[in-house]
Amino acid sequence: MSRVLTIIRKEYLERVRSKSFVLGTVLVPALMSLVIVIPMLIEGKDLDERRVVGVVSTPEVFAEMQEIMADREGKVVDLVAVDCLDPDNATCVETLKDQILAEEIHSGVVVPTDFIETRKAVFFNRSVRALVVKDDVLRPVLNLILRKGRFEEAGVELDLYDSLVTSTRWENIAVGQEGTETAQNQGATFALAMTMIMIIYIMIIMYGNHTLTAVIEEKNTRMVEVLLSSLSPDQLMLGKVLGIGLAGLTQFAIWTGAIVFASAQGVSFGSFSLDVGYFTPLIMISFIMFFLLGFFLYATLFAGVGAMCNSVQDSQQFATPLTMGLVIPMLLLTLVLTAPDSTLSVVLSLFPLFSPMLMFMRVCIETPPLWQIGLSWVIMALSIWGAAKGAGKLFRLGILMYGTTPSWGTLVKALRA
Amino acid sequence: MKQSDMALPPVGAPLLTLEGVTKHYGEVRAVDGISLSIPRGSIYGFLGPNGAGKTTTIRGIMNIVLPDSGTIRFAGRPMTGDLRDRIGYLPEERGLYRKMKCREQLAYLGELKGMARKPALAAADDWMDRLELGDWKDHKVADLSKGMQQKIQFAATFIFKPDLVILDEVFSGLDPLNIELLRDMILTARDEGTTIIFSTHMLAEAEKICDAVCLIEGGQMIIDGPLDQVRANFPRQRLKVAWDDGREPPQTMPGVAAMEFADGVWQLTLDDGIKPSALLPALQEVGNLTLFSGNRPTLSEIFLEAVARHRQEVRS
Repeated sequence: MSRVLTIIRKEYLERVRSKSFVLGTVLVPALMSLVIVIPMLIEGKDLDERRVVGVVSTPEVFAEMQEIMADREGKVVDLVAVDCLDPDNATCVETLKDQILAEEIHSGVVVPTDFIETRKAVFFNRSVRALVVKDDVLRPVLNLILRKGRFEEAGVELDLYDSLVTSTRWENIAVGQEGTETAQNQGATFALAMTMIMIIYIMIIMYGNHTLTAVIEEKNTRMVEVLLSSLSPDQLMLGKVLGIGLAGLTQFAIWTGAIVFASAQGVSFGSFSLDVGYFTPLIMISFIMFFLLGFFLYATLFAGVGAMCNSVQDSQQFATPLTMGLVIPMLLLTLVLTAPDSTLSVVLSLFPLFSPMLMFMRVCIETPPLWQIGLSWVIMALSIWGAAKGAGKLFRLGILMYGTTPSWGTLVKALRA
Repeated sequence: MKQSDMALPPVGAPLLTLEGVTKHYGEVRAVDGISLSIPRGSIYGFLGPNGAGKTTTIRGIMNIVLPDSGTIRFAGRPMTGDLRDRIGYLPEERGLYRKMKCREQLAYLGELKGMARKPALAAADDWMDRLELGDWKDHKVADLSKGMQQKIQFAATFIFKPDLVILDEVFSGLDPLNIELLRDMILTARDEGTTIIFSTHMLAEAEKICDAVCLIEGGQMIIDGPLDQVRANFPRQRLKVAWDDGREPPQTMPGVAAMEFADGVWQLTLDDGIKPSALLPALQEVGNLTLFSGNRPTLSEIFLEAVARHRQEVRS
């Protein structure tokens, strides 16, 4: 056992002390925030870039527009009146155009005096990119003004109007197993779930590949024969997988710590904020379990493949299908997200190669029956046991096999031996 | 019982014995019923051409491959994984972690043989000093020359004070000075009671260092025994002769199996059991002898002849 510990220590320290570990610890979260947070930011649309839209209208309409805009949340457009607030004056419109061309303002809108009757407004812009401002900001604002004007013309009292045009107020409640109600921030839930799934995915791919290359390197440097004169192939494989896994767990702990810390600080990006309340014990335990079980399953398979191959190139034909085992569930996430309880989702999430992503996704978005979570752990543990036996066989046979490029045939033959 | 406390046989008594060891790889019979016995405190040469089965036999001893049949015993006990801790192995295919520092690497390999970390580090320091690599302790292996790396590998084989050391082509790639240094170390280790298996193609080196040898060919052992005895079993001798005025010997001579002329010297291969002195009168009759030199067969000659004879036997 002490030999295995010696191997674990060497593999662990070698990785944790490497520059790539330090870089990876910093860069991966940065990349991940690019992948996850940025689309969220964009969803809030053009957030921080404030746009100035010139308005040519009657002073009353302009005042009304400003009032409505002031009430709107996440206001990203500033309305300014063009010097002359007179829509019937042609030079006024010319001024507006000049200002747009001079890039003093982003775009402009002309609301004619007879707007309430004709419903006509004109939007001036430099490129179609600006149309989003018209559709998302100006159209609803002017629609309100138009409606209000027409109600007024029809003689409806302002109070009555206000009560007529009111809109629904929504609150989202997630009903838990015990019937408890929790207020839900859907965007945040999804983003956190995605972040954690991405972490599991990246870690398994990264450290699985570490295992593969570490085993191949051992063969390339001919270290393996020296090592096998001191310990058995099983001990060597166990030491490597555990050592590399421990390094992965360290990085994992740093990242998880960072997320929990950030959410405890109430970090927010635009309308999205991290909420520490989201990390229920079940989610945290599942996070760690799915990472560990997923890593050991894949690492063992990668180690077995590595032992049969002489170079990383050689190994690609076997490693690619393994990597697909990780990519496919990522593609299936949406499917599971839309119908987490469907038979298909349940079956897919119980498939051991997919469980780390799909079952964990289900845990994140709603609590599946506990027996299903437990079953997926048991299935994964059994798969690890089976994979370790198979990989051990490949290891013992392949580790001293030099020269020949293995094929699927030799792999199957070795497993049957 | 800790392996290090294990009782060893006295010097000269068999430490390692192989009986009928056979190993197949698919259809290929890599090792075919090899039996041998290696006395403690001796240097035992493992000789044979490439692909003869030496490495497979060694891997069998190291428990890296399991023989299909036959037994391997170390100090009277069947070979198991734990007994590996008593055996140092320097494989022909050298392996070191290129990015690891030398001292660290030696200590690591010592630890894998069951040493505690501190003694392993101390032993690493000691060995690096002995091998004149004291200044390189904190350098990465990749910074070292090939010869230096070889010395590190050599140290790794001895660092945990093994009872048996298997050296596969230990001198290949070394300059004569370093060969001398390592040879002295091997002889010292032998004198201290360490048993050494010296596997090589370099027969001249084997001849200098080995107490006993075996010759493996086609997975079978065709010669085995103390060096003197092996030579005695090959009585066929060679004789170099020359005459002053370039005279030639008669085409056939009793007691001479073959003759060959090169560089002004006649080389006569004598029939089995014929002593050179028995031929002297006949040679003197030819003319004035300027050279008459009998030489014992070299290991290389024995080797070549034995292999040729064995291959012929297999064919017929």
